[in-house]
Amino acid sequence: MDARTKPALRDEGARLGFRLTLPAQILVLFISAFPLLMQLYISVTDWSPLSGLGWWNAWEMWNSFANYTDLAADARFWSALKRTAIVMVVCVPAEFLLGLALATLFADDFPGKRIFYSILLMPMMVVPAVAGYMFFMLFQSGGPVNDILSSLTGSPVTIAWLSDPTLALIAVMIADIWQWTPLMFLILLAGLVGVPEDQIKAATLLGANPWQRFTTIVLPKMKTIIVIALAIRVIENFKIFDTLYIMTGGGPGVATETISVYIYKVTTQDLIWGYVAAIALAILVVLSIVAVFAMKRMARTKQVAA
Amino acid sequence: MSAIQLRHLTKTFGDFTALKTMDLEIADGEFMALLGPSGCGKSTTMNMIAGMEEPSSGNILFGERDMAGVPMGRRGVGFVFQNYAIFTHMTVRQNLAYGPRMRGATKAEIDRRVGAIAELLQLTPLLDRKADRLSVNILQRVAIGRSAIMEPAIFLLDEPLSNVDAAFRAVMRTELKQLQRQFRQTMVYVTHDQLEAMTMADRIAVMDHGVLQQVGTPLEVYNNPANVFVARFIGAPGMNLLKGRPAQSDRGLVIDLGPLGITPPLPDELATTLRAARGDVLYGFRPEQVALAPDRRGLAMPVTFVERIGARTIVHLGEGEGTVKAVFDNDVGLSIGQTAAVAPTAAAVRVFDAASGVAMKAG
Repeated sequence: MDARTKPALRDEGARLGFRLTLPAQILVLFISAFPLLMQLYISVTDWSPLSGLGWWNAWEMWNSFANYTDLAADARFWSALKRTAIVMVVCVPAEFLLGLALATLFADDFPGKRIFYSILLMPMMVVPAVAGYMFFMLFQSGGPVNDILSSLTGSPVTIAWLSDPTLALIAVMIADIWQWTPLMFLILLAGLVGVPEDQIKAATLLGANPWQRFTTIVLPKMKTIIVIALAIRVIENFKIFDTLYIMTGGGPGVATETISVYIYKVTTQDLIWGYVAAIALAILVVLSIVAVFAMKRMARTKQVAA
Repeated sequence: MSAIQLRHLTKTFGDFTALKTMDLEIADGEFMALLGPSGCGKSTTMNMIAGMEEPSSGNILFGERDMAGVPMGRRGVGFVFQNYAIFTHMTVRQNLAYGPRMRGATKAEIDRRVGAIAELLQLTPLLDRKADRLSVNILQRVAIGRSAIMEPAIFLLDEPLSNVDAAFRAVMRTELKQLQRQFRQTMVYVTHDQLEAMTMADRIAVMDHGVLQQVGTPLEVYNNPANVFVARFIGAPGMNLLKGRPAQSDRGLVIDLGPLGITPPLPDELATTLRAARGDVLYGFRPEQVALAPDRRGLAMPVTFVERIGARTIVHLGEGEGTVKAVFDNDVGLSIGQTAAVAPTAAAVRVFDAASGVAMKAG
């Protein structure tokens, strides 16, 4: 009898739980699943807001995956993707290394630490659009960056930063590094402070020099937080848009056109929304793979730490 | 192995003096416990020996060598932390191998040394276990092994048993003492637990408020406390101390305890010292060295509380300043409200100067 009532009770509990969480589940469904399905639906059609059809009738414009085949052959898409990857490969490691160096510096006490700490965190608080204008001004050919270079070299420098394809990309990356190194710094500092001081002392007593302590104790202990910090920045950096768009508008030409800028242009200028949906879905898949990889890694470290 | 000398060691943090001109010699191979309540300066002393903190003044000598300016990694000191500070992201083997590896020992050399130390500490079957899921006595052995592999001249242990639950502490104490016999190193052991100090140490240095109070073997410290602090701190419960004034009676020199009456006559050696003394004294005796005085010649006091803890009975007597605790081996049948007459064993009586708190030595 016992054996029979227990599963019955458990079933009843599960059913009650389901009923209680139903409203929340419906809400989540609307927030995440519905847009996704809608996107998927539109992405296999030629639908656009100018087509005169409601989106739910988009099936009338079914184009049998032409969006995806177009995408595979879209040179502008691939070059935007490549450019985004270049920005990421430069910016994220730069932000990580700078952040880690700063975190190591701030883990110890030094005079004026609190003031420097506040100053250091400020870029993160600046609205990206405003940061975009700041760097737009800084990199003008008669702007402060050239002024500084002039006084350093002793001869007038008039580099047209934002009109040169390569320099514009560099300027955009500098802005991103300026704005997001603080976030990296903040996360890594939290991780660094969490490394047990006793273990560092123990390592010192066992004869480890500072570099050995860093590589054998500090870094392994920070593994999880480093993965989190990198994952956040990889995902965020992939979506780089506002600062960049204000600085260069994706130009000159398409020299700084990243994926987000490309999507924005296709959406607002070309108005082919079915195609936009296909691009966005492809990117979502890529980012999800990154996230899954990072989360798996985190789960593994957590398991080991438990 | 190495002897340790502390000479006029002082440590100040701003206005606060953590340690005041401490002089202490620790012999080669000795197990020395630094005992005192928290904030007494024992950990500061230990950290200075290890090189984690620089003395404000004074010297630390290992053997004949002055340690001033020698960084902690080069002092040849093994340190066992309060929480053991095991590298939890490594295996037991990696923990043990850490020191030699950092000093660039060869793979074969590391394997040989890790093998030897693991055998000695019975860690061989656990070598490839991750160090974050070990029981506390294994952690202790790993912590000791990790330091011992460096063959340090000196072992410093910072309250290693304070995180261990009470039931297990006895096991750990025994194990630790055996390990010390095996390694025969000079050991300095910091603790606030007198039971640990009494059971393991060759000698105990009792400290309070940054001042060394007394150094001696456990029994010396227990039997002949140098001052009132040591008398109260050592022993559970601590020594009874009653304020009074020496007085001559027909039976010999006694101490007039005021409202509590007159003590039994003091032993001759103490009496000689006391005759020369002036002012108030504190009449002290251990709670364990008290007998009921049926002839009412002892101190008659009301029973205020009786603690029966199995093998022993602790009787609280008197109120206010003149309270006395008496420990009996069996239930003496006293209950609250009764009046009991107690008399300390004559040989166990100690007298302290009331003003300075210093023990008045017999003879």
